[in-house]
Parts: sequence; C-alpha cells; structure tokens
Amino acid sequence: MNTQNAPRKTQNATWRTLRQFLLIDMIKGFALTFRMLFAKKFTIMYPFEATPISPRFRGEHALRRYPNGEERCIACKLCEAVCPAQAITIEAEPRADGSRRTTRYDIDMVKCIYCGLCEEACPVDAIVEGPNMEFSAENRKNLLYTKVILLGNGDKLEPTLAERLKRDAPYR
Amino acid sequence: MANIKSTTRTGKANTAKAAPAAPAPAASTPTQPALPPAPEGMVNVFVDGILLHVKRGATVMQACTQAAKEIPHFCYHERLSIAGNCRMCLVEIEGFPKPVASCHWPVAEGMRVRTDSQATINARKGTMELLLINHPLDCPICDQGGECALQDQSVAYGGDRSHYHEFKRAVDDKDIGSKIKTVMTRCIHCTRCIRFATEVAGVEEMGATGRGENMQVGTYVEQAIQSELSGNMIDLCPVGALTSKPYAYTARPWELVRTTSIDILDAIGTPITVDNRHGAVLRTQPQENNAINEEWMTDAARFSYDALNTNRLTSPMVRRGGELQPCSWPEAFTIAKTALQNPSAGILGSMAGAEDAFSFKRFMETVLPNAPFDCRPAGSQLEDFYTFNTPLIEFENVDAVLLVGTNPRLEAPLLNVRLRRAALKRRVPVAVLGAEIDLTYPHIHLGNEPELLETFSKNKFAETLKNAQKPAIIVAASVLTRPDGPAIMAQLEKIAKKVGVIKDGWNGLNVLASTAGRITALDMQARNKAPKSDTASILKAFNSGKLSTLIAYGEDTILADDLEGKGTLIYIGTHLTPLAEQADLILPAAAWSEKSALYANCEGRVQSANQAVQPPLNAKEDWKIFRALSEEMGTALPFNTQTQLRALIAAQHPAYAPENWNKITPRTNAITQSPNHSITNKPFQPVVTEYYLRLEYLRQSPTMHKCQLEAGTARLGLHPQAPGPLPKPKTPSRKAA
Amino acid sequence: MELISQYLSLATPENLWYLGLTVLGILVIAVPVLLGMAYTTWFERKILGWMHLRHGPMYVGPFGLLQPIADAVKLMFKEAFIPGSSNKVMFLVAPMMVFVPALLAWAVIPFGPNPLYGLGIGPENLVLSNVNLGVLFLLAITSVEVYGILLAGWASNSKYPFLGAVRSGAQMVSYEVSMGLIVLAVILLAGSMNLTDIVNAQKNIWFIIPAFPAFVMFLVSILAECNRHPFDLPEAEAELVAGYNTEYSAMGFALFFLGEYIAMITMSAFTAIMFLGGWLPPLDIAPLNWVPGIVWLLLKIILVLFFMVWARGTLPRYRYDQLMRLGWKVFLPLSLVWLVITATAVKLLGNFAS
Repeated sequence: MNTQNAPRKTQNATWRTLRQFLLIDMIKGFALTFRMLFAKKFTIMYPFEATPISPRFRGEHALRRYPNGEERCIACKLCEAVCPAQAITIEAEPRADGSRRTTRYDIDMVKCIYCGLCEEACPVDAIVEGPNMEFSAENRKNLLYTKVILLGNGDKLEPTLAERLKRDAPYR
Repeated sequence: MANIKSTTRTGKANTAKAAPAAPAPAASTPTQPALPPAPEGMVNVFVDGILLHVKRGATVMQACTQAAKEIPHFCYHERLSIAGNCRMCLVEIEGFPKPVASCHWPVAEGMRVRTDSQATINARKGTMELLLINHPLDCPICDQGGECALQDQSVAYGGDRSHYHEFKRAVDDKDIGSKIKTVMTRCIHCTRCIRFATEVAGVEEMGATGRGENMQVGTYVEQAIQSELSGNMIDLCPVGALTSKPYAYTARPWELVRTTSIDILDAIGTPITVDNRHGAVLRTQPQENNAINEEWMTDAARFSYDALNTNRLTSPMVRRGGELQPCSWPEAFTIAKTALQNPSAGILGSMAGAEDAFSFKRFMETVLPNAPFDCRPAGSQLEDFYTFNTPLIEFENVDAVLLVGTNPRLEAPLLNVRLRRAALKRRVPVAVLGAEIDLTYPHIHLGNEPELLETFSKNKFAETLKNAQKPAIIVAASVLTRPDGPAIMAQLEKIAKKVGVIKDGWNGLNVLASTAGRITALDMQARNKAPKSDTASILKAFNSGKLSTLIAYGEDTILADDLEGKGTLIYIGTHLTPLAEQADLILPAAAWSEKSALYANCEGRVQSANQAVQPPLNAKEDWKIFRALSEEMGTALPFNTQTQLRALIAAQHPAYAPENWNKITPRTNAITQSPNHSITNKPFQPVVTEYYLRLEYLRQSPTMHKCQLEAGTARLGLHPQAPGPLPKPKTPSRKAA
Repeated sequence: MELISQYLSLATPENLWYLGLTVLGILVIAVPVLLGMAYTTWFERKILGWMHLRHGPMYVGPFGLLQPIADAVKLMFKEAFIPGSSNKVMFLVAPMMVFVPALLAWAVIPFGPNPLYGLGIGPENLVLSNVNLGVLFLLAITSVEVYGILLAGWASNSKYPFLGAVRSGAQMVSYEVSMGLIVLAVILLAGSMNLTDIVNAQKNIWFIIPAFPAFVMFLVSILAECNRHPFDLPEAEAELVAGYNTEYSAMGFALFFLGEYIAMITMSAFTAIMFLGGWLPPLDIAPLNWVPGIVWLLLKIILVLFFMVWARGTLPRYRYDQLMRLGWKVFLPLSLVWLVITATAVKLLGNFAS
C-alpha cells in the first residue's frame, strides 16, 4: 500500500522519464485486461442459476403464524409507524374472542423501499421480509398486498422463514 | 468538601442566628449563610440551587414545578387528594437520610431540594424497576401505547434491565361496563381511579381489595360503574389498565388528527378535542379549562361519537309513492321551492350553532316573510332570560344553592361536580325543589309541589339563602315548558329579590338550558316574535292543516306521533330519526364535528368548535343549504362564505365577535314575560330520566343504548324511591342497535 | 442531347461488362464489410465482457452470435424520432454523410493478389479501384465523415449533440494532421501512394519494424480519428448524454453506428496495409505462404480491431484538454521529427520500393 502511494520523487528522474516514454504503465494496464480476458467469469446465469441468499435478505413480505395456526400480528401498528415510505396500512378492532387483531393489513409493494424496518419494529416477528424477490406483476393492483396474500406468503414459506430467523438470531 | 465549607461559614451563621427574623435551619443540614426572610406566607426553598419563594404549606413537588423542574409521578394529580403511593416523585432533600416523596412533603424554610442529583436519579430508577416488576409490558397490544405515562417515564427515568426474573403476577380483568375496558394486570395501584370515583364522581364503587401483591383495584362486586363521569378515569389512569372500550384497538395516538371543538350535548360547553383518522371521528377527549370543565368530560359526550357514523343522512331524499328515495340536491331544492310556496313554518332543534341558527333565521325572515318559526321546544316560554347569572367558576364561592325542578347531575354533570365539592368541602347547603333525585351529595329535599314557592318565605331554607353571602338558584329551562312556567319564573324572581339572591353586585338566579344549541339559537333570536308563532302553535296549525309546509330543522324534541298533519314535512338534519322517517323531503346537514360553528354555553360564553371531518357523502354544511335554497327561492342570503356569515353575526351579536370568544358576555336578565297562569299544583317531573338517551343525537349512538341498558335497573341519578320514569320517548330509530 | 448520345455511346459491351463487374465488386466488398461491421459489435461486446469478467451476449443464438441481427431488427422497428425544432432535411442527411464515406473508403483497399489470376480470371490484384493516390483518397474520404457528425450536432438543435459535434470536429481535424504526417513518412518508405505498392514494399520487412514509433502514434491517432475510447469525447455519456447522436433513434442512430464501426474496420485495414504488411504472411516460408493473402489481411484487421477494443477495456477517457495537448503538443512534433528522420534516412539509404 505504502510503496504504491510513495511519492515519485524517490524514483530516479531518468527512469521516470523512460518509464513515461516507454508507456510502461500503459502496457501494464493492457496486460492486466488481457489476463482478465481468460479469467473465470463471475456472471451468474440468473434465471437458471441462483446466488445464495443471506438470511437477512429483504424480499417479499410475509405475515407469519404461530405453530398452532394463530396469526402472530397483534395490530400494534409499530411497523406502520416506522415505515419510512408509509407503505403499510393497518386497521384493527377487537376480534370475537377479545384479542387485538388486524382487520386490514395492506402493504403497497410499489411504495415499499424494502428497508426492513417493519421487520425490525415487529415485537412478535409477525411481519418479515422473505427470500422471494420474484414477485413482479403486470399491473399495480397486483402489487397492493392484502392481509390474505401476506398470510398466504407466510404459510407457504414458514419453514424457510423460521430457519432464516434462527440463523440470524445470534447476531441480533 | 461540605464539611470544610460548613466549618468556614460557621461564624457567619452564628451572627445570622442572632437576628430576630433568622430562619431555623432545616434539620441536620449543614449551616448555611443566612437568607433574607421570604415574603409573608412564603418560605425560602432552593430547588437545584435556585432560590424560590414558595407558599407556606405547599408541597415539594409544587416548589419544583414552580422552578420548572419536571418531577415524574403517577399517583399525584392536582385535582385529586394526595396518595403518595407510587413513589415515583422521590427527590433528594439535603440533610434528609432518604429521598422523600415530593408530592406530599411540605416545604420548609431553607430546604434544599435536588431533582438532578445521583440519589434522586437512583431513586427514580429503582422505583421504576419495582413498578415494572408486575407490569406485563404488553405495550404492543395496549391502547395506552404511545400516550402512556409509564412508557414515557420508563424511557426517561428507568433503567434498561430488571433484577427480577420470577414470574409476573396476573390479575383477572374486571367487567365494569361498556364504557371502560379493564386490563388489571397493567395496574400499578396508583389509585387515581378510586380517588376520582370517591372524590369527584361521588360513586364509591371503585376500591382496592387485598394487600401487597394480592392488591386488586376494581368494583367490589362486578358491575357496571354507575357514573356519568366514569370516562374520566380513562384519562386519569397513567397506564393501560383502564381504557376506552368503544375506542379499543381502533387507532394509535400518533395516527390521529386532533381538532379542538366544543361539547354541545349539555349547556356547560366543555372544550374538547376531536380525534379523527381517515375522516372518521375515533374519540373525543376533554381539554383543560379551569373556568368551565376543570379537566373533566361527561360520559355522554365522550362515548357518543359513534352516533356520527351511525344512521346518517347522506343524500337528499324525497318521498315518492310512500317511500323515501335518494335524489339530487337540485331536485330536492325544486321540490322544496314548490312546497314553500304554500303557508309554511319552521322549527329549530337543540343542536344548532350560531351560523346555523342565524342562517335559518335569515332564511325564514327573507324568503318566507311573516312565516312563524321558533327555536324553543314545544311549550317553552323562555324569552330574554335563558342563561346563568353566576359564572361556573363562582360556584367555588357560592354558599347556598336552591335547585328548582332540575337535576344537575344528569343535565349538567360538570356543574354537579362543582356543587358536590361545595356541598362536601365547604358544607354548602343545597336544597332541591322538585322530584327526588340522587345528587351524590347530601341535600335537603323541600318537596315536589310548585305551590311551595308561594309560601317559600316561610320555609326554613329561605332563611339559609338570606344568610348566605352568595346564594344561587338554578332552575331548569324545562320548567318553563309548563303552562305555569312564567308564573314560576316571576315567583322565583320575587323570592330571589326578597332573600338576597339578586342584590347589588350579585345575581344568583340561573336558568339551566338543556344544550348549548338552545342558548345559541335564543342568542340569535331565531324565532318569530309575533303571537302564535311558538312551536306549540306551529304544531297545532300544521296538524289542523292551516300550515301546509313545516321545516323541521335539526328538530329533536317533537315526537313523530305529535305530527298528524297532511302537509309537507321538510326535515333538515343529520340522522334518520323517527321524525325524519315521517318527512316528505330530507336535506342532509352536517353534524357538530363536520362544521365550524360558534356555541354559547350556559354562562353566555361563546366558544368556537372547529370542523374535524368532512360531512358524509352528499351532506352539506347547514348554512350552505339555506344559502342555496334561498337563491333557488329567488332571494339570495347576503353571505357566500363562512367568514362573511361570521362577520354578519358578529355585527348583530357582539358576543359572537372573535375578540369576545371565550369570555363571559352578560345577557339581559330581565324576566319580561307576564304570567298568564297562576302556579298550579302539578308536581315537577324529573327533567331527565334516561341520562344516556336524553337527546335524539344520543339515541343514535349504539354505545349509549348499551350504557342505558346497563344503567336501567340502577336508575342513574334518580332517587331510589322516586316514581318510575316517564313513558319512554319514541323508540329509537329502526336502524340503531 | 449530344451529351446523352455521347453517354449512350459509352454503352459498349466492354463498358457494360466493366460496369457489371464493378457493381459486382462493390457488392462483394460492401456486403461482407456490413456483415463484418455487425459482428464487430458482437466481437467488441464479447471481448469487453470477458475483460470485465462477464460473458457478453449469450442468449441470442449460440454464444450470442445472432445478437447483432436482433439489434438490427430492433433498431429497424423503433420509431424514427425527429425533434420538432431540428432542421429536418439536415437531420436526415447527416447520418448518411457518416455512413456513405465510411463505405466509400473501401474502394481503394487492396485485398491482395488474385489467387485465380493464374487461371486468367479477374484482375491481378483484388482491389476495386487500384488508384495511384489511394492513400490520399483514403485520407480524404475518411475526413468527410466529420461533416456528417458536425451536421448531426447542428441539425439536432440541442445543446449536447452540438457540443459533441464541435468536439468531434476539433478532435478529428487535430489528429488528421499528425496522422497525415505519419502516413507521409510511410509513403516515403514505400515510395508510392498506391496502397498495393505500399504492401508490396513490405515484402522483406513490415514497416512496423523500421517505423515502430510511427506505428504507435498511428494506432493512437486512429483511435482518436474513429472517436474511440479513450478519445470518445464526442459521445462522452457522462458529460454529453450521447453526444452528437443524442437525438437520433432507430435507423438514424443505426447509420451513425454503422459508420463508426465501418470506419473502425477501414482504419484497421489501413493500419494493416501501412504497417503490418497487408496480405503478406509474417514469414515467406512454406506453410505460411500457402494461406491466401486475404486471410492474412483479415487476421491483421481483426488484430487491430482487438487492440481498439482492448484499449476501450483498459483506458479511462481523456479529458478534452488532455486530448488536444496530446494531439498538438506531443504527436505533431514527434511525427514531424519522425518525418525528418525518415526523409533523411530515405535520402541516404534509399526506400523500400521493390
């Protein structure tokens, strides 16, 4: 590091002129790119290959349930409050058994900036951002996720989601 | 260091001791240099080194407040007695071995209080940890979350971990009615609710049972709390143990948009805030105003907001083939225009603001000249005198009260709070002339016969009034709906003058109206003063066919059965009431939360209520309806904006000019009507029998029906032996729960 | 009338035969050049991709070989957008003025001796028009391209294209000067301005060896002449959006693109002829001289093209003042000096003319 950044003064003036005149640096550069021509390529052939995904990857949202099937979300609205894009809309009322539940849990996936703050804010690990990133749609309506869709995502991905949370838990 | 200082200053202290006014140094504090003596009745107190003059007998907390130092607290409340059981207000006082609870420790001369010392900070942290031992920390599902004293103070003064690893206790939730939801595990035993119920509301139903960890706050026997003020416990509760049941889980405080407004459901004019989210009113809460409501609010005002979203009129409707069908505004106006070509009259209900009453009056005068119209309930003979002569805050000094035909507990609960305090704290004698009632404090029942007024001077209570410095008589406005009302009023005035209720510098004769709207409408003089133009006459003429069109504007006291006429009934209002169901044409108007309006309260104090939400769908603000209809009829009213309208009102009624808002403007107190009857022996009837359903607006609220159902057997505010309630007003509208 | 009959009298069978042959020759040259241009884009993207550790075009056809066709189809079906405030005639003419000269230059490029000449078929050399002033023609015709670019920038009536065009004009004119001097030195060495003769003069030794410094300068100059990296200032996307072709879309853009890449190939061919011995094999020994000369020429063109792409993958873009400094303060004196040296050497030692 230091040798590279060392001032040129330390070098012989003749050598420096020669070096410039003979285009040594340029030839070095050309040699580098030429070597790279044959190096192993980094590209991953995306739709056919997939990169490994971190347990912290912030993809499509899901609402989780407890193992007994009870939905986790308790309508505390912390995610709604923390959401910097104001993409979450929650309405709540007491359920028949008196517990606090949402009657509406919408995420506008178009507004969402996938920052993961909802996940951080959730006291019961109900809203999570899962590994799925392939949920593009052809119209915006399909990107307005309702509670049913989110719970469906949760049911579909629950083993993965639980595994991801478990793997990430030691670092939280 | 302290020792060195004290020794070096000993000499000075000794010389100071020699002075006659030398203050005794506080116990065991190191001797301090002499202070100049505090003014009379005050003591010298240092708070964090700042010298203050504090009233003798004040508490340390008050001294700290005076020094603008915040002292965290839960159980202390300035309108309740001091309990000193939460221990959150601990502060260090120099020379004291332990921190003291500042809320009940009186100040002493030379006291040095430390609100920011390490000892104070440690004491607060320790207290907070103890409070949180049994607190469930279920903030995410708690409705108090976001506006919780425990949450805020734990963040500000608490630690971030606990030494306590055992199981927390759990307490059964109590069912105390459909107004208050309880989660007693969250209770921190501050006893504010108990003290409120006992001291302010006067219902000794809340209490603590058990000791230590087994202490539980609740009603001793599980029952709905029978109080017209119980909602205030929700505000008082520093945690989420008592929360509003109708509001449960619906919103978070940070989502709500807050508008200031006025409670118009009684004549007190409580300043309130209206919280809405996405255009729906979700709760109402009191504001603090020492001169009006202190900081309380009635349950009817607090819990009836669901009426705003129930059974509303959202589109003009016209009767076609016997059915009410929605139509457009132009259509409705055309029909109204045709109907109003015939002899017409108008009646104004009890919820109108100044703008509404004024535009109604101008409409009747300009568009339908000479048509009779009135703003008083049928039979009412109120004319120029319809307010209080005693400001509400003067009830702190009143020393004898006579209630005539009124039940302030149900008609104006916040007035009753002041009367109760007078009766209990200052032993002010209160006498009731009228039906037997339960006022929550001791009172003398003089009888139920109006005739007693004629022989009143012989009564023992006349003597009491005469001996009092500031006596007051309160008479219900509804008394004046009796045929002999004017006679009773005249007799009362006579008595008042005789026993010194009206004297130089004091006028204690008061009329208690049912709502602020009634007073406002009378202020606007929204009635035709020609003979035979009062509500009763109008109804008679309409029923007999002399009048072919009747505008019932927000009318809520006429029963649907009272109308027999074949004429056209035009209903302008907010809800599909039983009367509206009889209408031939309905014009939907804005409810109180949907328009900005001015209201006068019983003292004549004008306050402004602001618009919180938009009127539903096609409903319009009232004055706009009259303005548009007047244009349709060919004579446009001279205002196009609310500003212009308010300027017109202010020009005619100076009390309503912005500079006079929130001030008491005296009204004339001359009793002008001449009695045309003598006082009869017909006993006074209870003015209100069903507190929660006393207005048509309240009858639209499902919550109020639930509350009344719970209060049904307990008969809130009525004497246990009183005769049964009057026949129920017309059954509530079909759609109400 | 006379003129017409005079022209008609030219339509002798020999002349018509000659005309037919020429048209055939044009087609034989132009079609492979256009195809070659298409695959130059593929070649460039592929090489650049590899240098970036990417794969380059992969999906359209095997190894992305059909990518240029897909691109062409895409460009043809795009909307030809003409800005409202542009000078419409000039706006449409400009791309053609870039494309046509680039193609015209190929008239004088020799592809080597005709392998069938011994059988009595065709001319001795495979060249459309073996003019004696080939070098001059080439220099002249490639310089015309700058008019197209200037015109495009001006006709677009938009600031970025205009700036791009002005830069392009200044840049091409600057580097033509030193390039002309270097070419002059080569002409001195070869003793001829006929491209075929220049190649033949390299029979013994390619000019790259005696004139290596000139070769280096020439390589740099052709990069600047073709507006290639690191001298692609006229279309510096970070500063000028897309330079002179900002306002162009569809086929207008495609023509600029074609012109640019054909110019690249032309310049590569020019370099191969001037310095790399054209169609001559590296050594005139048995297996190498069996290979037809045109293959050698093609290989040499590809080599120079590869260098151009390589430079793009390696070097960052010059600043404009650096570009000008290099052109006028370095290359011009150096090439002048080189010219003097060459002239002296030729005077003293004689040239390489066979």
